[in-house]
Amino acid sequence: MEHAVLSHDTVTVEPLLELNAHPECGGLALFVGTVRDHHEGRSVRHLTYTAHEPLAAKIIREVEAATREKYGVPYVRIMHRLGDLSIGDIAIVCVVRAPHRAEAFDACRYAVDAVKHGAPIWKEEFYNDGSSAFVEGCCIRDDMDDATARPHRHHSHTSHG
Amino acid sequence: MKQIVFELFANLERLAGSGTCSVQAHDEVGTVAEALALLARERPELAASLDRCACVAGDTIVRRADPVPADGRIALLPPVAGG
Repeated sequence: MEHAVLSHDTVTVEPLLELNAHPECGGLALFVGTVRDHHEGRSVRHLTYTAHEPLAAKIIREVEAATREKYGVPYVRIMHRLGDLSIGDIAIVCVVRAPHRAEAFDACRYAVDAVKHGAPIWKEEFYNDGSSAFVEGCCIRDDMDDATARPHRHHSHTSHG
Repeated sequence: MKQIVFELFANLERLAGSGTCSVQAHDEVGTVAEALALLARERPELAASLDRCACVAGDTIVRRADPVPADGRIALLPPVAGG
């Protein structure tokens, strides 16, 4: 069975690290995205992630494979949380094992960006004033022609710093 | 006539008030683009959002020029914001 890349339960980092494997690797880069208490000047109380799960899982696994290939690293592991999250909860984890630190950092950043921009996952933020909104994201149509294409706003780039 | 079922996500689901919506299509509705045009006419509250949606059958993105999937189900994925 393929490894999980989406979780409806609390994500724990430790099992994803594989510190006892990959003896050829001298580096591990880790990114953990957590839920922040503000977005564009508004106070966030909590949020909900939803997904088109079959395609999201497929795309995240493709990102893992593409990152291994692009950076020549043996291990890339991504886990994205779904469901209701509180401030401070883990939203996404990305682990890269690599022989050296440079490709570990680069591969980790690449993989997280690729998931944010490509996996069909949506974030609905619930604000302190009782309102809520879906965070504006990236269009993943691959057949936009020039007549209909519009620049999309990359708010989510800074979601976790 | 055939039924086409659209699966809705995120703000699209919120606009429609449900996770799916169906349209009855004449046989000349053959492509995803034609199915979307029909949906836009029948559910004008969704029309402005459809252009930026990716269309998916199963776990595969389909293009506007592709035929309507054999099972008549199209998932509409608005712009994504994970992470």
